[in-house]
Amino acid sequence: MTVVKAVTCPVCGSLCDDIELTVEDGRIVKVKNGCALCESKFLGYNSEHRLLKPLIRKKEELVKVSWKEAVGRAAEILAEANYPILYGWSSTSCEAISLGLELAEEVGGVIDNTSVVCHGPSILSIQEVGIPSCTLGQIRHRADLVVYWGSNPWSAHPRHIERYTAFSEGRFERSAWKGYLNKIKASIVRKKIESAIRRVFFKGKPSAPSNIRNEPPSTLQKEGRKLIIIDVRKTRSAEIADYFIQVEPNKDYELLQAFRALIRDQEIDVDTVAGVPVEYLEEVADLMIRCDFGVLFFGLGLTMSSGKLRNIDAALSLVRDLNMWTKFVIMPMRGHFNVTGANTVFTWQTGYPYAVDFSLGYPQYNPGETSVVDVLLRKESDAALIIASDPVANFPKAAAEHLVKNLLIVIDPHMNATAQLADVVLPSSFVGIEAGGTAYRMDHVPLPLKKVVDPPRGILSDEEILRRILAEVRKIKKRRAEES
Amino acid sequence: MITLTPKKEFRFPVIAECINPDIFHDKTTKEIEELKIWEGNKQKMLGELFKVEENRTENPQEREAITINGNLNKVRRIGAGMKSGEIIIHGDVGMHLGEEMKGGKITVHGNVGSWAGSMMKSGTIEIHGNVSDYLGAPYRGSIEGMRGGKIVVYGNVGNEAGAYMKNGLIKIYGNAGQFLGLRMRDGTIFVEKDSGGRAGACMKGGKIVVGGFLESVLPTFTIDSIKEKVKIEEGETIAGPFYLFIGDLVENGEGKLYLSKEKNPHLNHYERLL
Repeated sequence: MTVVKAVTCPVCGSLCDDIELTVEDGRIVKVKNGCALCESKFLGYNSEHRLLKPLIRKKEELVKVSWKEAVGRAAEILAEANYPILYGWSSTSCEAISLGLELAEEVGGVIDNTSVVCHGPSILSIQEVGIPSCTLGQIRHRADLVVYWGSNPWSAHPRHIERYTAFSEGRFERSAWKGYLNKIKASIVRKKIESAIRRVFFKGKPSAPSNIRNEPPSTLQKEGRKLIIIDVRKTRSAEIADYFIQVEPNKDYELLQAFRALIRDQEIDVDTVAGVPVEYLEEVADLMIRCDFGVLFFGLGLTMSSGKLRNIDAALSLVRDLNMWTKFVIMPMRGHFNVTGANTVFTWQTGYPYAVDFSLGYPQYNPGETSVVDVLLRKESDAALIIASDPVANFPKAAAEHLVKNLLIVIDPHMNATAQLADVVLPSSFVGIEAGGTAYRMDHVPLPLKKVVDPPRGILSDEEILRRILAEVRKIKKRRAEES
Repeated sequence: MITLTPKKEFRFPVIAECINPDIFHDKTTKEIEELKIWEGNKQKMLGELFKVEENRTENPQEREAITINGNLNKVRRIGAGMKSGEIIIHGDVGMHLGEEMKGGKITVHGNVGSWAGSMMKSGTIEIHGNVSDYLGAPYRGSIEGMRGGKIVVYGNVGNEAGAYMKNGLIKIYGNAGQFLGLRMRDGTIFVEKDSGGRAGACMKGGKIVVGGFLESVLPTFTIDSIKEKVKIEEGETIAGPFYLFIGDLVENGEGKLYLSKEKNPHLNHYERLL
């Protein structure tokens, strides 16, 4: 039995690097420090859906073949395609992504990562407005006002609040954890009393939830760390916050612009914006101006609701405006553990963070035109390589329908929905568990991914599979050049 | 006059910057057929994808014209950077039509893809159909919008029409999408029918006229007055009455947003502020 310390967790963009794993007979048996998502990945990754042999579709059925045959077929598909797409990348290592870009250039394809369906709009706005940001360490030690907008970290990035923001013990800012515990205890007592009264006097019928469009509490003026959540519904994260602003769905842009106007001391003609009274907004705007170090985290609630990139445009501009008064930073809550790494490697090698089209021999970038979802919706591609992703399960139906009409190559450890419809399936090892590499945390800090256990016999890493395909593609192209 | 007809239904994107009167000028049919064009990731010759025919005419204006018949919705960048001459298209056409156009005229009898007339400096584009997003808007990341010329659309347009516009005129006789005239600095946008929300977001100057319904005005616009009529271009004035809003306050903007009083009764609460 061995204990492996300081393992980086390959689940979400928080990339916690303090995980301790106990390994027995080549299997992980215990996880320490991890959240529920982390634990279920480390303990449950080796499920019955694990692929153990390369597969090729022959006569409508996937049959087991040798690595040589499968890699050869994959290379042939890509080398012959007129407009192939290469998609996924956010859940694999930077080293594999780098090889993927080389492959895309070689075959003249469109390469895209999962940003296209999550924080793509953020990137477009960052390119137009710029981003005042910092590392999570700075936020942990200094931030006294933390705002999450359209994001539910308590459920999606479970250790984010505890490790980096409101509940972390920083050098200059204390943790708000104790206050939270007291609040929770008080709310449990209150709920018990209310339910007892209900049972005794009203016999049954639960009352309607109390109006959550409440005014800012007096505790907002207290010293110390404050947590504000802005969302369309009262999430788990909102329950622990000092103040929750409920915005009408698809009205985030109006609310952001109203905050910008208030911060610039402008008069607003209307009384409510996005369902929130302007006087409440004034109090929050005042709080934003008076903090010493504020941070705004935003999630898909902003990037994928009506307005998309313009919501982020407004959020970035708001933070830029706030820097006229105080120190304020902004950061997207990235989902996949290495989606930031995918953007970084793409930018470093091609100049663009996602949606890169190599069909003319040089990189072109224009999301909407060169992004994979739009290429699929216009039915333009004729072959696809999908790695570390499951677009058939996640893409819009029309896009997935065209995707499966392509000659489809899937590199994945599992038999997922896309792999079931593929023409070539190449089983890979789990990055961060069975293979090492590098990943970037959401604040662009690179962290090493560890190889903790060995993969099953005969299973290769994403990196090795791509290297073999690339070599095979080059061979085919050379042969073709000689023939002609 | 040159007539082009696609030889097949295109499946892959075709990049056809070479379809441009300035490039066709003084070339024989054979030379035109040998122009380079991209289909997917393969380079081809124009003659492989299009049938090229020349009709001799003595009228110098007609001689410079290019007519294209057929479905071109995968064909991009037609007339990009053109300085003179005329292109007439009978059928749908793809993205980046007349991008960075500096003169001449493009007429389309069909629908047009995104980024039509992107960053155009001069000339005219007339579209008898619908247009997708980013009409006249700059490419991703750029703040150099339309700087002159005229775009007339008889159908509907998508989002962000006239974004970052610096000068010129866009006339839309159908409906417009969201973020009409986003961050515009000068110039005029006229929409005869309805507009999606957030019209004039972050505008610094210029004029947007909406003759139909606008769901809501951004909270960062302030009402100025009610105008009886508004001028669209030299010799064209539209009768109102119109609410005149000034904005966008967050950019210290002085843009003018005219909204039809008759079609927007939900905005009459602003009248108490006048």
